[in-house]
Amino acid sequence: MSNMLIGVAKSGVFGLLRIIGRTAEGVGRHAGGIAILFWRVVEATLHGRVSLREVLAQTYSMGVLSVPLVCVTGVLSGLVTSQQGGYQFTGSVPLYVLGSVVTSSVILELGPVMTAFVLIGRVGARITAELGTMKVSEQIDALYSLGRDPIATLAAPRLIAGTISTPLLVGIANTVGVFAGLVASQMTMGLGPESFLYGARLFWHDWDLLYSLTKGLAFGFTIPLFACHMGLITRGGAEGVGRSTTSSVVLMIVSVLILDALFPPLFLN
Amino acid sequence: MIEYRDIYKAFDAPVLTGVSLRVEQGECLSIVGPSGTGKSVLLKITNGLLRPDRGDVIIEGESVLNASREALEKIRRKIGYVFQYAALFDSMSVCENVCQGLPEKEASRIRSPEVLKKVCQALEAVNLDPKHIVNALPGDLSGGMRKRVGLARAIVGKPQILLYDEPVTGLDPVNSAVVGLLIKNIQEQLRVTSIVVTHQIEQALDISDRIALLEKGKLRFVGSPAEFRASPDRLVQAFADPRAASAAAFEIMEEL
Repeated sequence: MSNMLIGVAKSGVFGLLRIIGRTAEGVGRHAGGIAILFWRVVEATLHGRVSLREVLAQTYSMGVLSVPLVCVTGVLSGLVTSQQGGYQFTGSVPLYVLGSVVTSSVILELGPVMTAFVLIGRVGARITAELGTMKVSEQIDALYSLGRDPIATLAAPRLIAGTISTPLLVGIANTVGVFAGLVASQMTMGLGPESFLYGARLFWHDWDLLYSLTKGLAFGFTIPLFACHMGLITRGGAEGVGRSTTSSVVLMIVSVLILDALFPPLFLN
Repeated sequence: MIEYRDIYKAFDAPVLTGVSLRVEQGECLSIVGPSGTGKSVLLKITNGLLRPDRGDVIIEGESVLNASREALEKIRRKIGYVFQYAALFDSMSVCENVCQGLPEKEASRIRSPEVLKKVCQALEAVNLDPKHIVNALPGDLSGGMRKRVGLARAIVGKPQILLYDEPVTGLDPVNSAVVGLLIKNIQEQLRVTSIVVTHQIEQALDISDRIALLEKGKLRFVGSPAEFRASPDRLVQAFADPRAASAAAFEIMEEL
């Protein structure tokens, strides 16, 4: 009986170790792949092997075409923050503080993070599916066989475009979000624009805006980097593309949230 | 000249186990063999799309395995590769697709008359009318047309070597014969070194200077079409003669 229990315990421990080992191997493999991809994008960019026309096309596709959705999420962020803040502050805290709460929440957190989520859904998933389909239908192999570098042709323009366009989108989301909060505060709580802006200025630091745009820069680089990596390692036909796209979205969301959690201790304290 | 030196490659199981072979300048070699014996893998190793676990490929005196990335890109520009399902770029028109077969600087001048002329010549060489097809997207083309556009992309840059990965798979007999004739014409006109991976034995016998039979990762037979037909080897006979193939299939079924 005791031997059987020891056997079960042993197999449980070995099973756990196996799972930990496999997970560590997977993380290591992805980290290595992402680091190599990053290095090769830097190399291609420094050697001038990235097409400017492709960068502009990708910037238009990622940036300009994302503006409507970013505006919608920006408006909703500002609106919800002002409503919840108003509900909590009425009767206890001077209402002009709402201007500060809305501005800080939108600029420091909601603007960059909501924009990142929009880009993960609209751009990141599309990049993985697109490159994954190219991989499984041998189009990536065709590029290699034609003497082209898929990293310079496909990955680098997307990374550069993401890094350029995301801080600008975050800027738009911030502006729209704060404006929506201001309008909503006036319409629902009767807080005038002067009082809202007075509250906003009261706790304002110039650094906050730079912090917000830096977050945008980090997210804008991370999302296409991970999306390209997952696309380029896709295997196994249509099912593989689906699996890869799902894993990519999960990876991008988790990475954005981890990066978001790292920002305050690194830059705000 | 292409030289394979003791090529080993394994994925989950060994695929190629010591393949050594020389393909002479201007020669057309067909590789035949049962499915899953590493024919396409050998082709991908030729231009560095896959790395062998052991051995090397020497192309015009240059090692593919030890080539730097830049050197490998140069080697690849000497090689035209026709993929099994054409591997055309979905987002590009036929003209842009064929243009990709030209050196990068030329390909970027897609609107220039001399580049367009080269694209049209390549399309005409594969029996396609440029006027009707040049602006079409790959999704608008039939399987046979896609294969021929893939062939045009492979030959537009005037390569020294052409690699065909099952160029007629999935085509009806007529289109299959058309692509076969095109391969023969290209071989006669350009005198390139060609390697054709195929299951169409009649076509292989018709277009090849030599035929290699790959079985379980090893070369079982290499010789001229006449030697292939006359070979006493039972597997070669099964490939060379449809009646022998039926008998071999019957034996396999009985063993199962």
